[in-house]
Amino acid sequence: MALLEVRDLAVGFDTEDGRVRAVDGVSFDVDQGGALGIVGESGSGKSVTALTLLGLTRARNADITGSVAFAGRELLGAPERELRQVRGGEIGIVFQDPLSSLHPLKTVGAQLVEAHRAHRDVSRAAARERAAELLDLVGIRDARRRLDSYPHELSGGMRQRVMIAMAVINEPRLLIADEPTTALDVTVQAALLDLLRRLRRELGMALLLVSHDLAVVAQLCDEIAVMYAGRIVERGPTATLLEEPEHPYTWGLLGSIPRLDRPRARRLQPIPGRPPSAIDRPSGCAFHPRCPYARDEHRRRGPPLVPADPEADQGHQVACLLGRSARRALWAALRDGGDPEEAMRRAGLADAGEGRA
Amino acid sequence: MGAAPEPTPGRRLSGARAAMALFIARRLLWTLVLLVAISAITFLLFHLLPAADPAVARAGRQPTPEQVAAIREQLGLDRPWYVQLGDYVRGVFLEFDLGHSFINEAPVGELVGDRLPNTLALIAGAAVVWLLAALVVGTVSATRPGSRADRLLMLGALVAISAPVYWLGLVSLYLFSSDLGVLPLLPGSGAYDTADGVLEKAGALVLPWIVLATSFAAIYARLLRSGLREALSEDYVRTARAKGLSERRVVLAHALPAAVTPLVTVLGMDLGILVGGAILTETVFGIDGIGRLAFEAVQRGDLATIQGTTLVLAAAVALMNLVVDLLYAVIDPRVRR
Amino acid sequence: MTLNIRLLSLALLSVLAVALGACGGDDGDGAPAADEKRKGGTLTELAAGDVDYLDPGRTYYQFGLQVQYAISRPLYSFVPGKVEEPVPDLAAEMPEISEDKKTVTVRLRRGVRFGPPVSREVVAGDVKYAFERFFSANVGGPYPGHFSALVGAPSEPTRGVKSIRGIETPDDHTIVFRLKEPVGVTFASALVMPVTVPVPADYARKHDARNPSTYNRYVVATGPYMIENDGSGRLTGYQPGRRITLVRNPEWDPRTDHRPAYVDRIVIRTNATDTEIAARQVIRGKGMILDSNPPASVLRELVTRIKDQYVTLPAGGYRFFTLNTEVKPLDDINVRKAISAAFDREAARKARGGRYVGEIATHYLPPGMPGHEEAGGLKGPGVDFLSAENVRGDMELAAEYMRKAGYPSGRYTGNEELLVVGANADPGKAQAEVARAQLEKLGFKVRLRLVPQDALYTRWCLVPARKVAMCAGASWFRDFQDPQSMLEPVFKGSLINRDGPNNNMSMLNDPQVDAAMDLAAAAQGENRARAWAEVDRLIVERAAGIPWLWDTTTLVRSKDVAAEANPYTTLWDLSYTAIRAEE
Repeated sequence: MALLEVRDLAVGFDTEDGRVRAVDGVSFDVDQGGALGIVGESGSGKSVTALTLLGLTRARNADITGSVAFAGRELLGAPERELRQVRGGEIGIVFQDPLSSLHPLKTVGAQLVEAHRAHRDVSRAAARERAAELLDLVGIRDARRRLDSYPHELSGGMRQRVMIAMAVINEPRLLIADEPTTALDVTVQAALLDLLRRLRRELGMALLLVSHDLAVVAQLCDEIAVMYAGRIVERGPTATLLEEPEHPYTWGLLGSIPRLDRPRARRLQPIPGRPPSAIDRPSGCAFHPRCPYARDEHRRRGPPLVPADPEADQGHQVACLLGRSARRALWAALRDGGDPEEAMRRAGLADAGEGRA
Repeated sequence: MGAAPEPTPGRRLSGARAAMALFIARRLLWTLVLLVAISAITFLLFHLLPAADPAVARAGRQPTPEQVAAIREQLGLDRPWYVQLGDYVRGVFLEFDLGHSFINEAPVGELVGDRLPNTLALIAGAAVVWLLAALVVGTVSATRPGSRADRLLMLGALVAISAPVYWLGLVSLYLFSSDLGVLPLLPGSGAYDTADGVLEKAGALVLPWIVLATSFAAIYARLLRSGLREALSEDYVRTARAKGLSERRVVLAHALPAAVTPLVTVLGMDLGILVGGAILTETVFGIDGIGRLAFEAVQRGDLATIQGTTLVLAAAVALMNLVVDLLYAVIDPRVRR
Repeated sequence: MTLNIRLLSLALLSVLAVALGACGGDDGDGAPAADEKRKGGTLTELAAGDVDYLDPGRTYYQFGLQVQYAISRPLYSFVPGKVEEPVPDLAAEMPEISEDKKTVTVRLRRGVRFGPPVSREVVAGDVKYAFERFFSANVGGPYPGHFSALVGAPSEPTRGVKSIRGIETPDDHTIVFRLKEPVGVTFASALVMPVTVPVPADYARKHDARNPSTYNRYVVATGPYMIENDGSGRLTGYQPGRRITLVRNPEWDPRTDHRPAYVDRIVIRTNATDTEIAARQVIRGKGMILDSNPPASVLRELVTRIKDQYVTLPAGGYRFFTLNTEVKPLDDINVRKAISAAFDREAARKARGGRYVGEIATHYLPPGMPGHEEAGGLKGPGVDFLSAENVRGDMELAAEYMRKAGYPSGRYTGNEELLVVGANADPGKAQAEVARAQLEKLGFKVRLRLVPQDALYTRWCLVPARKVAMCAGASWFRDFQDPQSMLEPVFKGSLINRDGPNNNMSMLNDPQVDAAMDLAAAAQGENRARAWAEVDRLIVERAAGIPWLWDTTTLVRSKDVAAEANPYTTLWDLSYTAIRAEE
């Protein structure tokens, strides 16, 4: 049994403009000690997914269906009392913006102590000790002095380390990180990822990392799930997804990453178009308006998430109506540096033009 | 490891203390300058645009021009305005001499000194009442938005804000005062004046406190409600929940402190203004306060008292502003820089 | 209404007579056979504001007089129920006026003493000093005009207290006033004013040397009561704007006084600013009286429902809308008569609060003033344009007068704009609006200016240069019971003051009226009343103004209080008020 089992999770909100289906039927597992990364653009529903696991979704009129089983216990619909035990105790969570996520009027130490004493019956002094330990653990110098600092007195990187310390102070079994490095600059980012990797190892924690940055996710996670328009469109082991992706959106993501190991002359290929409106989803395959390879049919039929290679292991799944061979051919062409036009020609999909929406 | 070197906390703290002291000193000086300016402006206003010539007012029924002139000279009103202004400002700030009230036959300082404690007792008590009420009502409303309780409370607040203080005072007397009321529970109008000792005086202030506090409680409740709702939608509240804290702790220890800051500003302003503004409550309940003193001075054209009370009120507002600023620095560490 | 007052006064008088066991204070001596049962207790008075002054040389307004006459004794004072004539108080007998009306002699009563800390007998020199300090700058008495006829009276406030030649004290119990003009009669009537209250020079001099005089906080008593003080004489019982506490004066001898002085203690709260609440507290409570008119709502309830606990008496003054005879087209008497005929006086009274605030006036001298009855009483002299029947205005009559004035349509068709000035706060404001409406209904163009009360007189109505056609807030209240002081300053042509404060707002300059005034000034007794009634009638006929209200004052008391109203101050007389043992 996996540590976290999510089945058909769907989250909808009622807004002034209509009903928003932020998450449209998502299923995944996180193993004990494993690491899953969820990648997607803004509006793909990845953050909402992460927050909903702990019952933290903002709007009070959210319509949540599906199942979230943690260590065998169902979390959705569980009473607040139970959820409170899980939050901060067994599942920790780190948010994107540490400046706004830390309470501005309380010292760092006070916030850590609070987090610890919410789940352990210890004295204030003992909790303070532990807080200092944690600051040390996350690599903050002068830990004891730092306890009395206020969030605004620290740099961005340090703040995020504090958030991480707060999330792991009770040695949770799962750490959820929602865009942990997005608000930080690149060098700090690398250090933070190092920290997460180390903590995972030292504490034996499972990790659920949510990010729009494929590169970040690739560094830390064993498995990656790509979300688009509230659904998972491709999932598989990290190596597989990086070497043999089979969804046009994933190709787009990979193509648009600047890489140091490719020649500079090679142009980045951004994915054309904009993320779909969450209220008015495109019919059929949600990606079809932006897919260079889309066909007429793709407007009408929605692709199910199925194993990429029915004969091989079930680990790699993709939701695309193009056949396997077409996909592999396209990818081969793209990998060698071609652009979508070229790729289509080489893959023999000459009549792909009519598919464009 | 990181980019810029981190500032060491130790040095920052002692620097902060010095900065705080400097901050206070600067504000105090500025407040003093402000008060001098206000006293000068008040003086000029009342002397350059007279509605009632104090000499004529003193001269009685059928004064001859000679009598009026003699009185004017006697009162020093025939000296050039800048001389009078200089004398006045000097008198106020160097000798604490706020002038002499001819109508009340007493130095203005004595009149003010007599009445200030009464007003302070009134508004301090009322403030306690309305803050407590606002805290309870605002918190209950904010944590149950849209519920029946919330709607009822906010409707009640609207009614409380709309009810004129004077009317409320009369109604409370006709309902609860021991001499006029249908349910004689509390001391009535004028009881404060004749009360002896702290306990009796406090008893006589219960109705006035409630009456004065009512509309403020409503306003503050609404303010707190919206502030709290905003705070509850902040990221750090989400973090607090994510830490597994009880909802009560989240609301009271995380959201409330952040929501309280705008209330502190308003409180400072309100208290400063109430020093001279609780006229209606003071009148209805027969409390000898500064508000009434100022009002009666205006009615009778008692220039010296008007000037004196204006100055006292300005000082109260300026002082409260200073207190509020200091309070901010205590509540919000971000301000201390 | 007058009938009721009469009955009530009569009833009170008889009660008083029974209680005193002798006839009313006609001659002032003989102690009231004080009903011992009624003595004692503490009386509480609720007042909306403080007295103007406690210093007898400076006090002028009725509340101040009410307190003053409980703690001090002027030369002459009034007894409840008897408004026509004062009785000797500090004086031993009525004043002696010489033939040529230029000398007034007053003999002082013996055995009247100053209270602590002075504690000695009052002598003539104390009254002389009282007058002299009145004219000094540090004291600044507010009505020097009434006594300017004294030989040697200063024309402007003196530096320091200067001797006045015209006041002589041949012995300790005689004062002789020498006058520059033959105005002895009026002068004698004015001897009820508080300036005549004795002030001990030895004690007061150091206070009067300060500017302003500090005697106000050190007043020494001569009456049945005194304000609590300490050894130095400082009034500890006086808390400005809060309270005045009166206790019995140990030096007072009841055998020398007409006052019974029943209660032992009087506490006056001067901070009961909310008159509605104060009135209700008095009505519902015990041992209390109210210092002024209750608000209209309470008044209505008193009259219609409670029907007790109050008395109504004439306030002793008249309200009138002035008609400036020098402003076109008001210079034409027919125009003035037309305006007067059309005027709805009832509406003006309503603006002030309705029928309980007073009687509609039909001439000037108010009820209670000598000459009022002789001028026709409430019905008046019976001129058609100011009749007692047509208080709501008679448009037809008005049109007639307009036609006589040369406006064939019966309405004003000219271009002149009339400047009407009134107070900017109710009820004066509402009153002024009524005035405007009355003028406009006759076709006049009106420019209405509403100004603060204190500027109304000093900057507008009393300033001829402003050419105010109608002063919509004019009134004249008595200082003492003499008709001359009610009519002369307001309507005598020779007293018009074109530069300074001018009381003749109508700018009436009629030689016939002036001559009648001179004649009446010399008269005495009944003749005097009749002569001034005649002057009243002449002024009415000149249509120099539209008198419209004779205010009445309503006094309220608690159920257990037996109070008498003093007709002079028109407030309860503190020395005649008792707390009934029962109830």
